[in-house]
Amino acid sequence: MDLQPIHPAPKSFLRRYIFSTDHKVIAKQFLWSGLLFLLFGGFLSMLIRWQWAFPGERVPVVGQALFAKSDGIITPASYNAVFTMHGLIMIFFAITPILIGALGNFTIPLMIGARDMAFPRLNMASFWTFVVSMTFIVLSFFVQLGSAAAGWTTYPPLSTKIGTPGLGQTFVVVAIFLTGAATIMGAVNYVTTVIRFRAPGMTYMRMPLTVWGLWLTSILNVLFVPVLGAAALLLFLDRVFGTQFFISGAAAVRGGGDPILFQHLFWIFGHPEVYILILPAWGVVADFVSFFSRKPAYWYKGSVIAMTAITVLSAIVYGHHMFTTGMNPMLGKAFMILTLIISAPAELLFLNWLHTIWKGSVRLTATMLFTLGVIFVFALGGLTGIYLATISTDLYLHDTMFVVGHFHLTMAAASFLASIASIHFWFPKMFGRKLSETLGKAHFWTSLVFITLVFVGQLAVGYAGQPRRMWDPNQYTFVQHLAPLNRWTSYFGFALGLSQLIFVYNFFRNVFGPANAEPNPWGVGTLEWTISSPPPPHNFDVIPTVVRGPHEFANPDVQVLLGRDWVAQNEVLPVDPPNAAAAPARGVTQS
Amino acid sequence: MRTSFKGRHRCLAALGLLCSLLATSAATAAPQPETSWGLPRNVSLHGGRTDWLINVTTIFVVIMFGVTVIWLLWSALFHGRKHKAHYDHGSAGKQIIKAVLLSVVIFAVVDGNLFFSGMADLNDAFWAFDKADAAPNAVRAQVNAHQWAWDIRHPGADHKFNTPDDIVTFNELHIPTGAPVILQLGSTDVIHSFSLPNFRTKQDAIPGNITRLWFQATATGEFEIVCAQHCGVNHYKMRGVLVVQSPADYQAWMEEASKLASRAYDPEDKTAHWGWDWNR
Repeated sequence: MDLQPIHPAPKSFLRRYIFSTDHKVIAKQFLWSGLLFLLFGGFLSMLIRWQWAFPGERVPVVGQALFAKSDGIITPASYNAVFTMHGLIMIFFAITPILIGALGNFTIPLMIGARDMAFPRLNMASFWTFVVSMTFIVLSFFVQLGSAAAGWTTYPPLSTKIGTPGLGQTFVVVAIFLTGAATIMGAVNYVTTVIRFRAPGMTYMRMPLTVWGLWLTSILNVLFVPVLGAAALLLFLDRVFGTQFFISGAAAVRGGGDPILFQHLFWIFGHPEVYILILPAWGVVADFVSFFSRKPAYWYKGSVIAMTAITVLSAIVYGHHMFTTGMNPMLGKAFMILTLIISAPAELLFLNWLHTIWKGSVRLTATMLFTLGVIFVFALGGLTGIYLATISTDLYLHDTMFVVGHFHLTMAAASFLASIASIHFWFPKMFGRKLSETLGKAHFWTSLVFITLVFVGQLAVGYAGQPRRMWDPNQYTFVQHLAPLNRWTSYFGFALGLSQLIFVYNFFRNVFGPANAEPNPWGVGTLEWTISSPPPPHNFDVIPTVVRGPHEFANPDVQVLLGRDWVAQNEVLPVDPPNAAAAPARGVTQS
Repeated sequence: MRTSFKGRHRCLAALGLLCSLLATSAATAAPQPETSWGLPRNVSLHGGRTDWLINVTTIFVVIMFGVTVIWLLWSALFHGRKHKAHYDHGSAGKQIIKAVLLSVVIFAVVDGNLFFSGMADLNDAFWAFDKADAAPNAVRAQVNAHQWAWDIRHPGADHKFNTPDDIVTFNELHIPTGAPVILQLGSTDVIHSFSLPNFRTKQDAIPGNITRLWFQATATGEFEIVCAQHCGVNHYKMRGVLVVQSPADYQAWMEEASKLASRAYDPEDKTAHWGWDWNR
């Protein structure tokens, strides 16, 4: 194949591990950065939970170091920066690099049988642009007036100099723009790679659902991240060059601009964004339920159709974030029905997962447990979304903790659990080592229990009307009785934070541990498991020819012919399947 | 003392009198803490619609979530390693029809209920501004939000805005029971959101824009006005009080306060004249 020659592996350390164009190395770079920021973002959430449990009280242990000027107390200004940066970091610098940067980079070429991405140098540029962006985020904490504090949604005029005059907010706007650029570079690469680099025989309907999820996500990224970039750029001009795209009211000169325009731009991106973060998770869930139930994915085509339908719909529902802005009632109602329609394909996808597990032979590995965890938290998160899709109930629930609970269950908890499931699953392929199953299971149960308690606690206080983003919600009499509930939710939150140390330990102990992974520890037939763990730099010595779909488990013919319940996507059976029953069993050696 | 005038007040005697008057009327009931974890007390004519829809949907949600959890547990416990996996792609015609039908039925029932009830709630209540506007006893007020307080302009006895008898209050809105209340909302600086949890509704206040909100109280008492949109450092302190009085008490308050306001009116004090024409 001219398209994918085998390049000699780079020899210098710099070319091999730092400025590498190998998608597997770049995947690891994204993974390390993402995990680091995940820890950081998680730490910020601990501070938020402390503030909600004990408003205005000294933060123990780290308080004096972090908030020296206020004697260890989180001031309202610091609190605003903490929750703003928690959101931005988790979305753009933790989940995005882990699910899309690391998972996408690692799995797409391996699963479709390619030697690398379509544009390896663009891939490297994507990561290094991301590094610059991360630098701005880190720097923003060390400038006067601190980091961004206008909420992750960055609504102007609050996010202009009127509300947040500090350099930190400008740095963060620049960082969002840059991370957007990095994302677009990655997405262009993924979209092209999937279209052009699929191995012979790897038709769209034979692609693993992981690849489907990542591919659809990348299409959304290519289409909608530029809109975020535009919004960030205009906001940057407003902040630095004194334009007034988004400024109106008393500060506006000659009529000014329109703050609502920003909300349109932001949510045209922002709503697809939640699907950008969840589609890869759905993809891996759809694959893992099949892999670990040892049963074909139920109605594969239906799942593809459902995910595609959701991708298309996700582009035309964003207005449900703006029901209270005084939008034209006609427009509001149109967004309401479109949003509700999304639940139809989502239900179909869900039913397919449930049917896949049903009558399977379920192996409760750490990966499978985390996968079931995704289904559990996403069911809860998805179902609480329909209250917010409906305008009349949203008028009450909008901007309450109910919204916070809902989106944490969907795009935070679900994509987090899916990330951990993926790390457990592909760790052997990535590092040639296995993570401890026992520690993985302990991490799963603690995470699941505390995630549920924390976010259901948030739903509960939101149902009772507690507004979000409050430094001290107890200013309001009508929510003061919720203080004990908030405090308990915080205790569960701290427990959730602590239980992540299990994963940190498991990860570090094994990533540098002895290389002990077999090529195919899970008994799965997708292409990446047909090569060594970790794979050679060029992945495939010979580009495989694919002859079947990714979920061919429990096929009676295969069991007779090969003596195992799975068959690789490129494995040619010794006898034609229709005659298998008649043929004598041979080569019955379990690998 | 929460109540005061916006701007500089030169007629201190009148102010003192007004304050004591407001204090007596407000002494009826400060915002009460809620007693249970459920939805806060509903004192709105339409809040019951929201509560009904939320609660009915919660029943559906509990059923669907319950089935999912039982399904997952059942599969994990009884279709485990010892269970032989069925070779089934789930792509037979019958299975597809079953899956699609099931999704459509769930969608039609749960989302259908949300959609049709939600539309009725909007058309008959929350967004039925024409209906509120047509009511002869409708009460109107203008709210100017700014970091971090609500300035509220009641039109006074002449029912006209921007006249000397306007009653301008700080973080306190007076309304009667039994009459539709229509608010126009503006903001000087950043986006705020005027939220009434006890009335199940809210509306953003956006600089450069006038938005509107209407509701109707069914009980007297004091209820909290929440700023629901993150608006800066003291966002958490941007609390107002909605004082709901009986129509007679409200009328008495309004006439007295309006009289005092006319007496305290200072044509020179431009900053106090921030109101706008109601029918722009």
